[in-house]
Amino acid sequence: MENTAFNIEYKPRTGSEAMCEALLDEGVEYLFGYPGGAIMPFYDALPDYPLRHVLTRHEQAAAHAADGYARATGRVGVCVATSGPGATNLVTGLATAQMDSVPLVAITGQVGRPALGKDSFQETNVTGMTLPFTKHSFLVEDPDDLYPTMRRAFEIARSGRPGPVLVDVPKDVQFAPTADKGYRRLREAPPPVESPGLERAAMLLRNAKRPLILAGHGVTLGGAEMELRLLAERTGIPVVTTLLGISAFPDDHPLYLGWPGMHGQASVNRAIDRSDLLFAVGMRFDDRITGAAHKFAPGAKIIHVDIDPSELGKVIKPTVGIAADAKAAMRSILGHLDNAPEGEGCERWREELAKSQEPERRRKESARDEYGPIQVMEAIKAAAGPDLRLVSDVGQHQMWAAQFFEFTKTNSHITSGGLGTMGFALPAAMGVAFAYPEDPVWVIAGDGGIQMNIQELATIRDFGLNIKVAVLNNGYLGMVRQWQQFFHNRRYSETPITGPDYEQLAASYGQTGRTVSEGDDVEAAVRWAQEQEGCTILDFHIDPEANVYPMIPSGMSVNEMIEEDGA
Amino acid sequence: MVPESATGVVLNTIEVRFTGGMLALNRLLMTLQNKKMPVAGFTLGNDGDGMRVTILLDCPSEPALRYTALISALEDVTEAGPAETIEVALIETQGDWRELAIRSGVAAHEDGGTVVASGEPEKVEAFIAALGEGVEDVVRVGPVARPEAGGGA
Repeated sequence: MENTAFNIEYKPRTGSEAMCEALLDEGVEYLFGYPGGAIMPFYDALPDYPLRHVLTRHEQAAAHAADGYARATGRVGVCVATSGPGATNLVTGLATAQMDSVPLVAITGQVGRPALGKDSFQETNVTGMTLPFTKHSFLVEDPDDLYPTMRRAFEIARSGRPGPVLVDVPKDVQFAPTADKGYRRLREAPPPVESPGLERAAMLLRNAKRPLILAGHGVTLGGAEMELRLLAERTGIPVVTTLLGISAFPDDHPLYLGWPGMHGQASVNRAIDRSDLLFAVGMRFDDRITGAAHKFAPGAKIIHVDIDPSELGKVIKPTVGIAADAKAAMRSILGHLDNAPEGEGCERWREELAKSQEPERRRKESARDEYGPIQVMEAIKAAAGPDLRLVSDVGQHQMWAAQFFEFTKTNSHITSGGLGTMGFALPAAMGVAFAYPEDPVWVIAGDGGIQMNIQELATIRDFGLNIKVAVLNNGYLGMVRQWQQFFHNRRYSETPITGPDYEQLAASYGQTGRTVSEGDDVEAAVRWAQEQEGCTILDFHIDPEANVYPMIPSGMSVNEMIEEDGA
Repeated sequence: MVPESATGVVLNTIEVRFTGGMLALNRLLMTLQNKKMPVAGFTLGNDGDGMRVTILLDCPSEPALRYTALISALEDVTEAGPAETIEVALIETQGDWRELAIRSGVAAHEDGGTVVASGEPEKVEAFIAALGEGVEDVVRVGPVARPEAGGGA
């Protein structure tokens, strides 16, 4: 089109440019991705925009890095891949984000429209393939739809219960000129709060004798940490968290008890078993928390607050179900409590709980002198200080990290909970490090999981990320081995695993590393790592048959819990 | 009136309207399968506003409501809610069907030589049974949601 008045050629923007503009308009700073044939027009446009692209070494890592960034910041993470294998490599990352309700937008290139459906080179039906674990997906076939679709994808990803959204864009659509259709942001309605339920919840909270607050990831996702603290302090009710709820409430708070579940503290599991009221907020009664659901909290009335109404009654039938955002619900309940006469309180209950935690405290105290996971965790906490952000992988070390760290900083514990994705931690930590370059970021991983995305050491080097890695190396796929020990007569089928020399590996990536074994000074090694510039790997050789205790076998109840002394 | 399932639980009917074509239908089907919804019947239709599905769930009303909430949350879904079920049967008969239809309590009319009968599933079955040997052929197209019920919000 030509502007005849000034004789200036007007060049309409292309689909790729519209995509970049949408990203900018959404305030995106970082994209994590890997280019390829079908996404080349987008990558061609990218350098013209103030968007920082992080080239990972595998698309799965790109998805996890975007996930880590999103979890750490509360903003939508963005990852990019090409069609075919690029898109299929994103799948694990999308499923991880879906299970933990993490807002992501994944952009994939697709073969050109004329080639769609013809088994073309690097064609996969990525929208179809990812249906079960995306919140929504788009295949954009009209270039004019690209900009509004991109904006809508962000809106869907972050609204309500967050989740991953996939935008699949054929290559010719990226090239094509686009008309500006504009975009009208939908007004996000305030989450509905059902007032009779809230009033009843307040009444139950006032009258309970052995109440507990069980806080989940929804508290962090909803930015409701302050409301949680106010509610706990106003009522004097002790707080327990799910694995993903850890760091939504300060560990050093006198009302914090710990976390329950398969590998949670025995005292916390017993507290739930004895409670008469459970205020469950922003959590979904995952089977790792409940064990045998019909035996879970048998004497407790349940108040369940969740933004997703389909979670209410899915596993545990609540006495009061409230479909609302955690922040709005707790604020409203606090309002109802304000007008109420003070309840009798639950001092005796708190005393009883404090007493029940004594043996665990003593056990932890004595384990401090032994070489092993507790020493490692405590040394890291001491060296990194209160701003530490910990990203754990999946397995025994994940449980030890959750058990032995003391998280005092809000949202400082990041891990893959629902999907339990080995290989998550190293790339996710990259996202965290980009989000908070000034904060110390530590990865805790096993010698199995760390090898699943070890190639990202190159990405970490390229960007000079200051990530410290602690590998708890027991020469086994430790958690599977532990299950084999308990439930398969110690037949360690395919769980012994070897790995690289991590010192040499680190050196080959231009980084530093050390091996730490029994008898070495753990604190000194961790301090050394913390003082190094850039990435450092500490390879802790630990007892090959160290176990995580306690353990409630899958599908069983607190009464079947395996504890250290009885193992 | 709603039909009873093989498990003895009264079937719960939900009507779902959605746009987005095949991908949206695929997403709906995937959700039904993924969440292990006890689907006892699934009837798909298409009208000017997009697609319309009547789903019969073989479960009590409480989980059915939870499943409805889950389906409502899908982006393509414009409406989802409880609905009344009717059975629709296309019957080829030479018999005198008008009197029997009134007595059976079903709505019926003739369209191109085919009797279109609709109503509560039991009544439609009773009507077909009453026609007896006069029935030359019968096709049951339901269950579908009663149009005037229109589905809930």
